[in-house]
Amino acid sequence: MTSTPALYELRGATRFFQLGDSTIKAVDGVDLSLDAEEFVAIEGPSGSGKTTLLQLLGALDRPSSGKVFFEGRDLGTLGDSELAELRLRSFGFIFQQFNLLSTLTALQNVEAGLAPFGIASAELRERSLAALSEVGLRERAFHLPGQLSGGEQQRVAIARALSGEPRVVLADEPTGNLDSKSGADVIALLTNLASKHGITIIVATHDAGLAAQAPRRLAMHDGCLVADGGKSARSNKRGSR
Amino acid sequence: MFYLSYLRSELLRRKGRTILTLLGLALGIALVIVITALSHGLDRAQKTALNPLSSIGTDLTVTVKPEGVGGGAFANRTVSTDLSKLGKAGQHFSYDIFSSGSQTTFAQSQAKSVSSIPGVAKIATGLTLTATHQEGKVPKITALFKTGGQQLRVSGQVKPLSAASLAKMAKCMAKLEKSRAPTTTTTNATHGGLQPSQNGSPTASPIAKGSGPIQACMPAGVRRFSKTITVPRQTLKKQVRTPQTNIKTSSYTIGGVDTSRTDMGLITPAQVTSGRFLAKKGGREALVAGAYASSHKLKLGSTLALNRTKFKVVGIVQAPLGGQSADVYVPLQQLQTLSGQKSQINVVLVRATKGAAVGAVQKEIEKTFPSAQVASSKQVADQVSGSLVDASNLAKSLGLALSIIVIAMAFMMAALLTLSSVAKRVREIGTLRALGWTRRLVIRQIAGESLLQGVAGGVIGVAIGIAAAAAIDAFGPTLTASSTAAGSDQAVLPGAFVMGQGLARTTTSQVALRAPVAGSIILIGFALALLGGLLAGAVGALRAARLRPADALRQVE
Ligand SMILES: Nc1ncnc2c1ncn2[C@@H]1O[C@H](COP(=O)(O)OP(=O)(O)O)[C@@H](O)[C@H]1O
Ligand SMILES: [Mg+2]
Repeated sequence: MTSTPALYELRGATRFFQLGDSTIKAVDGVDLSLDAEEFVAIEGPSGSGKTTLLQLLGALDRPSSGKVFFEGRDLGTLGDSELAELRLRSFGFIFQQFNLLSTLTALQNVEAGLAPFGIASAELRERSLAALSEVGLRERAFHLPGQLSGGEQQRVAIARALSGEPRVVLADEPTGNLDSKSGADVIALLTNLASKHGITIIVATHDAGLAAQAPRRLAMHDGCLVADGGKSARSNKRGSR
Repeated sequence: MFYLSYLRSELLRRKGRTILTLLGLALGIALVIVITALSHGLDRAQKTALNPLSSIGTDLTVTVKPEGVGGGAFANRTVSTDLSKLGKAGQHFSYDIFSSGSQTTFAQSQAKSVSSIPGVAKIATGLTLTATHQEGKVPKITALFKTGGQQLRVSGQVKPLSAASLAKMAKCMAKLEKSRAPTTTTTNATHGGLQPSQNGSPTASPIAKGSGPIQACMPAGVRRFSKTITVPRQTLKKQVRTPQTNIKTSSYTIGGVDTSRTDMGLITPAQVTSGRFLAKKGGREALVAGAYASSHKLKLGSTLALNRTKFKVVGIVQAPLGGQSADVYVPLQQLQTLSGQKSQINVVLVRATKGAAVGAVQKEIEKTFPSAQVASSKQVADQVSGSLVDASNLAKSLGLALSIIVIAMAFMMAALLTLSSVAKRVREIGTLRALGWTRRLVIRQIAGESLLQGVAGGVIGVAIGIAAAAAIDAFGPTLTASSTAAGSDQAVLPGAFVMGQGLARTTTSQVALRAPVAGSIILIGFALALLGGLLAGAVGALRAARLRPADALRQVE
């Protein structure tokens, strides 16, 4: 366990936002250790800092103070292009609003996530179609997002997030815009695929039902990690030492 | 290539915005092309028509005011022509009379003193005359005087009668009238061989030949006088009113050109639109202004007879407007000979050493020669008026400004549209960054879209611009430029046919509005569109690049 670095190692990770005179601590001194192939749920009310924490984990943002290590690398010290490289190869994102590119077809949306790899067009298409097949939307490949239901759109987003074979999928309220049935379907799909490909899933949600499916549950309040089901106690202890 | 298909999808699926950007750029480019082409065309027209002096290589023209009261003394001078010398009645005649008008002639040698004034680079001399041309059939005027006319004259030589004898004669006549009233009119009809002229003079005295009742009334002295004096037969000259004939009178201007030089003069080879310039040695050749040529049916090779001297038309010219322009140009010496003004000129054209010296030279000439009238090219140009001038002024003052405004607006529109599209796509950009797109890739994509729109807008704009310019060429209005000569050259006509002529001479030149599209304009237009696209792209890309992915993703639509 000490020989290979943990997937994530957070030490006093803090993210402030300066709004006029007041300082908002969206993430406030989080210590956390995550291992690979975990399915982690981050719970907490709205505004508790879940999204901000996910952004720190996904290298979309840098901590104001503290450290975020991913596979032993301090994300705070990496340059823009290295972060982009990480996002391309190691992270997959799923958003509450699906965030599909509205002018692109389902297929093109998946391709957009693979394009920076610089692979040939034919292979790009092949891999993208395969990813769409995995989420059961092969026949909707040439449909625009506007022609798909919310559940279908989120499945396209899952295909896009997984097509690059990332180490981690970071999902921010993935069911927030879906009815419970398609939300459950989406989560089932996501967890199945993740375990199949050995991908770590970190889901931010305020849906207790969804969080209950996760072996490890973290709870946030006002930017602080307030509860850690499972291995979290150890992590917390280590962080606070 | 994914990036290209993304680009295409983006542009095709956001049709409204794309079309708006394209049209904005295209119309801007088209307008710039049309405006540039128009002002180019106007410029060309203007060079020939509106800048009369500089087009003939001249900065100043020097003429001499007539001495005395303005030009009046000269202007009102009339020249009499002996009708009897024209030829036999019924014969065709054609002649030209030349007059210097309001420009006094002076010896050619005097021009040299102008060239010694400091600041004068070179001078050229010329003679501009107003010519009156008449042609037609010689009227039968002399016949009027040949039969019985003597007696008319005779009565004119009698000493005035005294009041008493007049009263007595009147009484006698009255009595006579009463006795033969019904046949009065026959007197005239039977009278001699006198042909009554159309304007038959009612005062022609019906004095009978030999004895008659009227004669009986005359005082004895008169009776005796007419019997004894025989007036010798002679041809008499008398001014009669113009007979109704086919005589045509027209007036034109003629310029004597110093053919030894071609760089400056009343007209230079630059104004020759077809044919060639006058030969250096100055033979009997003429250049004819385009308008005069067409109204007088003159072509290259036509013969122009001036007082029986035949000139061959060797060139058609587009004469510069202004005081010294003429309808016909012949070598200076030829005109001097024709008009009987050996070695005389009436205009000196001056070129200054440099543009800045013109004012000083003008003052100096005016000071040295008080009677000289010096006109600068600006003054002459200012006298030119007409729609061409208006259009040209408009193009000058507005053309560049308009072009800049139009292109700036097109650029601004393209930039704003790109900006607004970037603003709307913030989350999309955030998503791309989350997918692992580098900043560079995102910028390339956004700028690529704008650049492509610039290219397309440029192509469309250039096409519209060329089409519009062609339409202007095809259906464009004709512009006119007119210039009223500085002096009032009154036409001088032979005595018998005096008729009024316009006082001031106005030259008008018509110029079809053209919009020549030069290749460089097309390139510039296209470059502008590309620039606009790049500018918009840069603005958009800069905005996109500044976005931090975390913030971009938080953006709510
Ligand atoms: N870019 C930002 N600028 C200012 N405040 C922000 C920014 N991002 C997040 N916050 C604030 O940080 C807090 C945590 O937000 P967030 O991480 O979105 O919470 P959650 O996702 O749990 O709802 C909120 O109070 C939010 O208003
Ligand atoms: Mg959130």
